[in-house]
Amino acid sequence: MIKTRTWVICIAAAAVMLAALSLLLLTSRKDGTVVQVIQDGTVIREIDLSRVSQEYSFEVEGPEGGSNTVLVQPGRICISEADCPDRTCVHQGWLTDQPVPIVCLPHRLVIALKDPAGSDTVSR
Amino acid sequence: MNTKHVARLALLTTIALILFTVEAQLPPLVPIPGVKLGLANIVTVYAMFRYGPRDALLILLARVFLGSVFAGAMMAFLFSLCGGLLCWLIMIPLRRILTEKQIWVCGVIGAVFHNIGQIIVCVGIYRTTAVLVYLPVLMLSGILTGLFTGFAAYFLLKWLNGRL
Repeated sequence: MIKTRTWVICIAAAAVMLAALSLLLLTSRKDGTVVQVIQDGTVIREIDLSRVSQEYSFEVEGPEGGSNTVLVQPGRICISEADCPDRTCVHQGWLTDQPVPIVCLPHRLVIALKDPAGSDTVSR
Repeated sequence: MNTKHVARLALLTTIALILFTVEAQLPPLVPIPGVKLGLANIVTVYAMFRYGPRDALLILLARVFLGSVFAGAMMAFLFSLCGGLLCWLIMIPLRRILTEKQIWVCGVIGAVFHNIGQIIVCVGIYRTTAVLVYLPVLMLSGILTGLFTGFAAYFLLKWLNGRL
């Protein structure tokens, strides 16, 4: 039998490590300004955020109905409207240069920064 | 399996389903997909220690299937199923090595593996590794919510003392 104290220490250590790692990931920045709008595993749009001069938006239809409205502004992108029940993707806010993608689970939509050629997904 | 036992399992399934459905109505606490309390995990842990892996699996499968039907989301079904199964798998060895006072550990590790299972489905469906960035965040949330559900299951086992 493993002692309770051992479990507590292991879980606490794991929590601290994961917290540090999460913080590192959430606050880190990525090179590159090209974002990909990925639906169901296929890239349906590629946008260079640094070349956007005027705000525009477009709608993405889900594979099984439902839609997301994607809003693009100079240097940033977000999902402004969605008809899914939780609307987590809308609450996630703007994507500029962070490695964390915007995800809409019910509509299988991911908006992520494109990896600069040759570098790893999680750099720095 | 006698009638009384079937009734008990059905009652536990109902409780899990209610927790699952009520939780789905709560607004998301943080804007991170996949982060939730996982209240139904209480029932899984309870069934695992009270009745064993087989009955826990039956309750889990019934809850995941019916929960997805009621929520009307087939996507949620895949996520719940893969997460739930991985959570169940890891609980089998835990059941043997944990003492009565350590049952809450099962909730923590179960929740973490539930989130790992969800990420695996996510990578499979989206065919992009971009979502892997969420793994540490989700595992951390699994530890925190698992502590809550684990202790809930622990006190439940203690207080019910074999009456359900």
